[in-house]
Amino acid sequence: MMMPGKYLTFINRFSKTGQTGLIIVGIVFFMAIFAPLISVHSHKLSSGPPLSSPNGEHILGTDELGVDLWAQICFGSRISLVIGMGTALLAGSCGGLIGVLAAYSGGMTDRILMRIIDIITVLPDLPVMIVLAAFFGPGLINIIIVLSLFSWVATARIVRSQVLQLKEQLYIKSAETYGAGTWYLMKRHFLPEIFPLVAVSMIRLTGKAIVAEAGLSFLGLGDPASGSWGLIIHHATSFTGIYYTNFWKWWLIAPWIALTLMVSSLAFISRDFERFADPRMDRRKNRYQKQ
Amino acid sequence: MIFFQGKKSRVIEYLFTIWVIFTLNFFLPRTMPGDPFLFISADEEGEEVAQFSEEQRNYYMAYYGLDRPLYSQYFSYFSDLSKGYLGYSLYYNQPVTIILLHRLPWTLCLVMTAVILSTVIGIVLGGFCAVYADRWEDRLLYFMLIAISEIPAFLVGLVLLFFFAAGMGLFPLSGAMTHFSGYDGFMEKTGDILHHAALPVIALTLTRISGIFLLTRSSIITVLTKTYIKTARAKGISGQRIFIKHIFRNAMLPIVTRVFLSLGSLVGGAILVENVFAYPGLGKLMRDAVMMHDYPLIQGIFLMVTISVLSANFIADLVYKKLDPRISDAAAADGH
Repeated sequence: MMMPGKYLTFINRFSKTGQTGLIIVGIVFFMAIFAPLISVHSHKLSSGPPLSSPNGEHILGTDELGVDLWAQICFGSRISLVIGMGTALLAGSCGGLIGVLAAYSGGMTDRILMRIIDIITVLPDLPVMIVLAAFFGPGLINIIIVLSLFSWVATARIVRSQVLQLKEQLYIKSAETYGAGTWYLMKRHFLPEIFPLVAVSMIRLTGKAIVAEAGLSFLGLGDPASGSWGLIIHHATSFTGIYYTNFWKWWLIAPWIALTLMVSSLAFISRDFERFADPRMDRRKNRYQKQ
Repeated sequence: MIFFQGKKSRVIEYLFTIWVIFTLNFFLPRTMPGDPFLFISADEEGEEVAQFSEEQRNYYMAYYGLDRPLYSQYFSYFSDLSKGYLGYSLYYNQPVTIILLHRLPWTLCLVMTAVILSTVIGIVLGGFCAVYADRWEDRLLYFMLIAISEIPAFLVGLVLLFFFAAGMGLFPLSGAMTHFSGYDGFMEKTGDILHHAALPVIALTLTRISGIFLLTRSSIITVLTKTYIKTARAKGISGQRIFIKHIFRNAMLPIVTRVFLSLGSLVGGAILVENVFAYPGLGKLMRDAVMMHDYPLIQGIFLMVTISVLSANFIADLVYKKLDPRISDAAAADGH
């Protein structure tokens, strides 16, 4: 578990790819927070000739309306982070709560919750997201809710199995016999144990949500006003004649690289986190042996 | 998982899930704010011109059966479904079922080819790396595949499209066949279809390989440590026979489930990739339907895709049990 004041050794425990990932995610956070400061031009208004290639004035070029792409990328990182972290927080906390509830109450509640989790797990998520997005309409909040509806199950499953294991531990049992109440047990024993698990799955969720939002935006189902990276790709690919010109070399490549770097960095970080924070890794090893 | 055991309960579980999907599909448009007549009468999005008089409205309500009580609509919805009737597309002016059947083969082609290719390549590479575990060949392949796998399929597709089709002109930009081309023979037609399908299939395959690769690699490494392999070696059985009879057979089990269970996300990837390449399958159709507000069509595609993925999962359960009688239902359900 993470101890305060040991951040350096903590970072050293990451693999090379994980450290690179941390740096890239850090840069993206920096871009998102200081977007108005580091981009000279407006991310919404035209600031130069349309479709100009990268030059001193516009370091990443401009799109078909002459809007600076670097500014769009900077402000787009905000959308990606909001969607990613919003979904991760909502889905992670709901999933965590439901997992604890299912494991702790057991019986009928557990059975019903597990059934729901099973159903959502087998549903292919993208088609359902498309249908929901089509019916509920685009919008950042809607997208976060739709993404969360599908993402909480993984967290809930992991948390549930962890709490089930904990419940059988002797120290929990003895705390119970000493008269520890549900809330005391939660706060003192369960939450500290499941927090790392939830945190790890939240990183996974962040990456997944960013990808899903990019996919929906690419299809034209995202929030048309958001200016997310997926939306830039959508505009670029819907531009007539994009295939026959050189415009894609900056218009499409910039958001593409931003998305790819962000998503792979998150994946590498969560891979490392899983390695040292998830006790289930051992279990997974056992499972392969069983099979 | 403990309380639902046995073959029957598995079937019941799937039937229940399918019922939930059908019901969701029935209630979703009915819980939406607004009125279908507003949408039918409006020419453009956002333009709400209700030109229906009260009488016309009542006539159409009765025509579409929307004046009947909800439970009666619900039952006729199910009787329609049982006849294979999924509604009538507003945009294409055709029964949804017919449109779906036209588009389905293209998606099936893409998905099946990608599944087969990624599985074969993943197993071969995984086996290779398991044998050479921790040597530089293994490390290099491992890193490359992990890195590629994290990029979503449609982004891989975009790169392929722009570099190989738009940039170099090696592949067609869109579609599944060349329009208005009179083919001279079967071979030419097949070649054209393959040429069009190549990039989408590569995009889907590339992102799927690593899952199979990792699983094959780890399960072969695990099997290699087992004592029965040692025993087999000691008995003097040839290396090839050991590999096929002992290692491969045992390592295959998790791979089979993985292939079937990953179909859900593969379908999601295929929907996006089809749109990258304007490939005329269900995914492209789904996007078009959403853009045209063609709700019956959206729902039809949704039903078809979800039911197919569920069936694949169900088959995975059955196949898994066939391959390994030791595994109980609980483990099969938990196996992903």
